[in-house]
Amino acid sequence: MNCQSCSEKMAELADARLDADTAAQVRAHIGGCAECSREFGEISRMLAALDGLPQSPPSHRLRAKVMGQIETEKLTLLDQAQFASSIRSAAGGRPDGRMAWQRLVVRAIGVCAVLAAGFALGERTATQRQLADLRVRVDTMGQLVEQSVLQKRTAGDRLETVLTAARSQVPDERVIDGLINSLAFDPSVNVRLNALSGLYRHSDQDVVRAGVLACLPRESNPLVQVSEIDFLVAAKAREAAPELRKLSLDEKADADVRDSAKRAIALL
Amino acid sequence: MLAVRDGDLDSMGELFERHHGPLFGYLTKLTGNRAAAEDISQVVFQRMLKYRHTYRDEGKFTAWMYHLGRRCAADHFRKSSSAPVAVDPADLADHPDEARSADESAVARDDHALLHRALGRLDRDDREVLLLSRLQELSFAEVAGILECSVGAARVRAHRALKELRDHYLQIQKEKHT
Ligand SMILES: [Zn+2]
Repeated sequence: MNCQSCSEKMAELADARLDADTAAQVRAHIGGCAECSREFGEISRMLAALDGLPQSPPSHRLRAKVMGQIETEKLTLLDQAQFASSIRSAAGGRPDGRMAWQRLVVRAIGVCAVLAAGFALGERTATQRQLADLRVRVDTMGQLVEQSVLQKRTAGDRLETVLTAARSQVPDERVIDGLINSLAFDPSVNVRLNALSGLYRHSDQDVVRAGVLACLPRESNPLVQVSEIDFLVAAKAREAAPELRKLSLDEKADADVRDSAKRAIALL
Repeated sequence: MLAVRDGDLDSMGELFERHHGPLFGYLTKLTGNRAAAEDISQVVFQRMLKYRHTYRDEGKFTAWMYHLGRRCAADHFRKSSSAPVAVDPADLADHPDEARSADESAVARDDHALLHRALGRLDRDDREVLLLSRLQELSFAEVAGILECSVGAARVRAHRALKELRDHYLQIQKEKHT
């Protein structure tokens, strides 16, 4: 064995990755060659240092993101019918299987919602202020919410929380904030849809309409997008028109979503 | 992974728990940047999910994971090609784990920073082959498969990279003393 081929096998010798014969040959060469013996010492130390570099785990965000992706993927595998039935039960809806489920939700809850008679100009400014405020909260709370998503790890737990919140009759501020946050941030489509259905009851509040409107451009799932558009129509949220127009022209948006947006503009 | 491919997505969570640590460690050393390593790790698992149908029961799952890792890291470097890899030891410090850093002697910490700097001076290809060859879960044949070269070539390249690392290490040590 010459120095060159000995040298190339040193790392594997140090790792005990060589077969017995080759290992013996390399060792024999090192024993009789001062140069290779010195090099082997250095290489071994270098390898030990490299393997000994401390390794800290990644932040919790990585797990939250990957688990969120898995959760979302799982739900897209589920049949749409299953979505519909979960929505129906969340809404206490009518067992009318022939109706498209989005419409069903709109009727079941939209009708009992107390709708604002329309916006006076002054109110609209107030809404814009609330909307701006909400956007700031959405940004600064993003991380907090991700953490809370992680604390309630399974989508089932989060769904339970949202369903409980959705049953609340009283327009409690914290309940409404929770529902809007879930609609904005929850990685599970099912949880987001249920959060939205929980908001129908409170669609008379400016902050709720502003919240749903703020969620619409963030949303990427067509099912949720269509449901949000239906919500805005049911809530007669005329301030949604510019956003809807943008969406109806968005080439990247789903065709159903664009159609819904167009229909919504006509209805509003 | 076969279970995942066949639709059992809960197994994907288990695969994540079992393998994300070593992958993240490898990518941290490769990029010299924890945030980038986290981003790339996320993309790796995202692609596993997306391309699970293409997984073949040949070779090990870890080899496939590092193969994806290599692609994703290359994409990352291409996107941020204007910014060369600058290893900032502060970036790699053990922030979430202060207790362990406190245990480490100052000498060891200095030594680790020095080694990170030396790694940062290697060419990216050299750093890649060297770090892959240090992964306990991969054989040299698998490393060669990931790098799409012969086993002999992978061996020679890893060896050359290691020697280069040693030279950089000694060089930085000398710079520090003068
Ligand atoms: Zn020799």
